[in-house]
Amino acid sequence: MDLQAQTNARSTRILVLASLLCAYPGIDATGQAHLDYPANTYVLPTPDPVMFPESFYWHCFERGIDGILIASCGTDSPYEGSYERLAARINRVYRQMKERGLDIRRLRLTAICSVCTKAFVKEVGDLARVVEELGPVAAELARGPEPVGSESP
Amino acid sequence: MADRGSEGSDRRRIGVYVCHCGGNISDVVDVEAVAARAGADEDVVVAWHLQFMCSDEGQSTIEQDVRELGLDRVVVAACTPSLHETTFRRVVARAGLNPYLYQHANIREQVSWAHVHDQAAATEKAARLVEAAIAKAALLRELDEVRVDAVHRTLVVGGGVAGLRAALDLARWGMPVVLVERSNELGGHVLRLGRTYPTDEPGRALIERLVSQVRDEPLVEVRLSTEVCQVTGYVGDFHVGLRAVREETDGHPCDEEVEVGAIVVATGFRDHEPARGRYGFGHPRVVTLADYQRRLYAAEGEADPARALGIDGPVRAIAFLHCVGSRQVEGVDEPGASGRLNTYCSRVCCTATVRAAAETRRRFPAVRVVDVYRDIRTYARDQEQEYRRAGEAGVVFVRVPTDERATVEPAPREDPYPLLVRTRDTLTFGAELEVPVDLVVLATAMEPGPVEDLVAMTKAPTGADGFLLEVHPKLRPVESAIPGILLAGTARGPMDIAESTTSASAAAAKVATLLAGDQVEMEPFVARVDLSRCRGSGECVATCPYPGAVGLQDVELDEGVVVPRAYVNPVACKGCGACVAVCPNGAVDVQGWEMSQYLAMVDAITADPAGFPRAIDPSEVTTG
Ligand SMILES: Cc1cc2nc3c(=O)[nH]c(=O)nc-3n(C[C@H](O)[C@H](O)[C@H](O)COP(=O)(O)OP(=O)(O)OC[C@H]3O[C@@H](n4cnc5c(N)ncnc54)[C@H](O)[C@@H]3O)c2cc1C
Repeated sequence: MDLQAQTNARSTRILVLASLLCAYPGIDATGQAHLDYPANTYVLPTPDPVMFPESFYWHCFERGIDGILIASCGTDSPYEGSYERLAARINRVYRQMKERGLDIRRLRLTAICSVCTKAFVKEVGDLARVVEELGPVAAELARGPEPVGSESP
Repeated sequence: MADRGSEGSDRRRIGVYVCHCGGNISDVVDVEAVAARAGADEDVVVAWHLQFMCSDEGQSTIEQDVRELGLDRVVVAACTPSLHETTFRRVVARAGLNPYLYQHANIREQVSWAHVHDQAAATEKAARLVEAAIAKAALLRELDEVRVDAVHRTLVVGGGVAGLRAALDLARWGMPVVLVERSNELGGHVLRLGRTYPTDEPGRALIERLVSQVRDEPLVEVRLSTEVCQVTGYVGDFHVGLRAVREETDGHPCDEEVEVGAIVVATGFRDHEPARGRYGFGHPRVVTLADYQRRLYAAEGEADPARALGIDGPVRAIAFLHCVGSRQVEGVDEPGASGRLNTYCSRVCCTATVRAAAETRRRFPAVRVVDVYRDIRTYARDQEQEYRRAGEAGVVFVRVPTDERATVEPAPREDPYPLLVRTRDTLTFGAELEVPVDLVVLATAMEPGPVEDLVAMTKAPTGADGFLLEVHPKLRPVESAIPGILLAGTARGPMDIAESTTSASAAAAKVATLLAGDQVEMEPFVARVDLSRCRGSGECVATCPYPGAVGLQDVELDEGVVVPRAYVNPVACKGCGACVAVCPNGAVDVQGWEMSQYLAMVDAITADPAGFPRAIDPSEVTTG
């Protein structure tokens, strides 16, 4: 890791929205297995990430959360149709991110089951690398979108 | 930061307790620094760090502080909440606080155990998680459990060994049971198994014993050739439509309705059927293990193998093939009729197969027996001996490489044997083998039963493998995510008879405790509407997947104007929060998981943009 990446890794923060029935026990199991993953990762349990409105993601980015991993139950969700609703919402957030010039790789929708320790380590590691590469979200928000004409949302 | 409640400028009085977990946490996390940082929060009255928060000493410290210091919220930073959240809620309640004014921070599984190699980063993360927990705690509200009148009757769906066991146990707990079986007899697969391990008792005898007990039990009402056609209601009060099984059931209305407080799903498994031709399936000399066991048992006194097994021609050699439709691998195996690859192990087939192979050798010593396997998983107590005995009985084991499969083909006409099994054998250093046999026995997988209709009616989720899914494989193994719907036996995944009946007894015990009182208590984590914000858009109603959970009703405003406003039926709401995200006015929340609480936690996590530990002045805070 070069110096810039090291600085980024220390000063960046990743939020994990972990479904209570699948991902949260999966992340516990990751710790039980003493599998390492970046320590700038903060896990918030949720009955289902479908509950978060678009505005929640913006609150996070604006407050300085540099990457968000949505660790849902995927199609194993105990709540009917919730994954489809969640995926549709995240697509809308992606559109908004493009409009505001945020790299959409900062938001990652995944499914992590209650024993998926390796999948969690991989997903959170991949996101951490993206965040390291991109640096803090604040700079990107401040830069704003590319000038008109270069790319449409 | 979000407004911390209705008490005006009054601060909260929060107690924070950081657990060492006897070194599990404190060997990695600087718990003293974490407690000190917590203590710096203006809402925190006391911040301790103790050896074991779950010990008597830890619990009584909290109780005492609540009473003596007038704490109004409690935060414990310790192991995962699934282990001790309930413990600490009870402590808080004993001290006279509402148990939901409690917040847990997970700093063991998600901090000290995960970040062993970076103590500074682990300490920083733990401190922030505790700060986030304090921020949420400040916004917690008092909550009451949702209570529903309990109907003291249970529906058991499926009359296999698991359903029978569950019904009997429930009756012995004094609970009336309606036992619904789709076929025209009780017993399920076990009825046709022949002799079963570990007791050697014939499946039919075991079932007959259970069935006679069920018949003698006045509290159990058995409905054969009956199926469930509708499920409405919720834990404590399900309304279940039943109808007789007919040739054409589609669209046929239900014949009757029963009211029950809980449902035990014991619908069992389905036998895997290989694609025609795969492993010779469809050839008259290729049979399934269940079929073979049945034949062996039906002719127990018969010494001639051909007559005993009902084979037309000499029986000189038999091959048993393990893992047919189990532990399938993408790129190597083809999906069966379900369209899914069964990546799981069916668990019972190894023991059942080596036993059948050994019995064959013992009864027909002239018959050569080859056991073709990938791994032998005789996992339970005493089962390893079955494997050893099979070897002693002269069964020859051949081990197929994990990424290859044995093939079964009809032999050329002139061959003395009708079938040829071809495989490589890793036990003989990858030798190519061609084994001529008279009969092939396939240990076919246990697949999920036909539960699509039940799943659609109850919303009980299935896993990626198609079996019904438990809430937690270790901590809540017989509960589905739908309160009041319990899982028994192989409906949940491959199990042997002992495991099936154990899980059935566990499900029955769960029901008995659930329906013990006049009312069922459910956690209060359901949606709540803030009428001061609701404008009656109806978005919540449109998005909610659960009938009757949210609705609109007319509400009269002060000026006599009647407007539609949302309401929640707490017993029908599952607390998923789909309604929260779509409300344009932010008027809906899931109790205990409110959006303002999440925002406050995010603010706490991001409070210091530098990302390095803040300087702490320990003299400012109280620590233990
Ligand atoms: C080849 C083979 C050999 C085995 N040998 C042994 C052994 O030696 N020892 C051992 O311990 N275990 C053995 N087992 C495992 C054993 O068969 C299972 O553990 C047992 O059958 C599980 O019982 P169950 O009640 O869960 O399911 P099942 O036996 O499948 O019974 C389920 C019942 O539910 C009914 N049903 C299904 N859907 C509905 C519905 N919608 N409505 C109403 N009714 C419904 C079915 O008709 C059936 O009667 C073997 C399994 C196989 C495949």
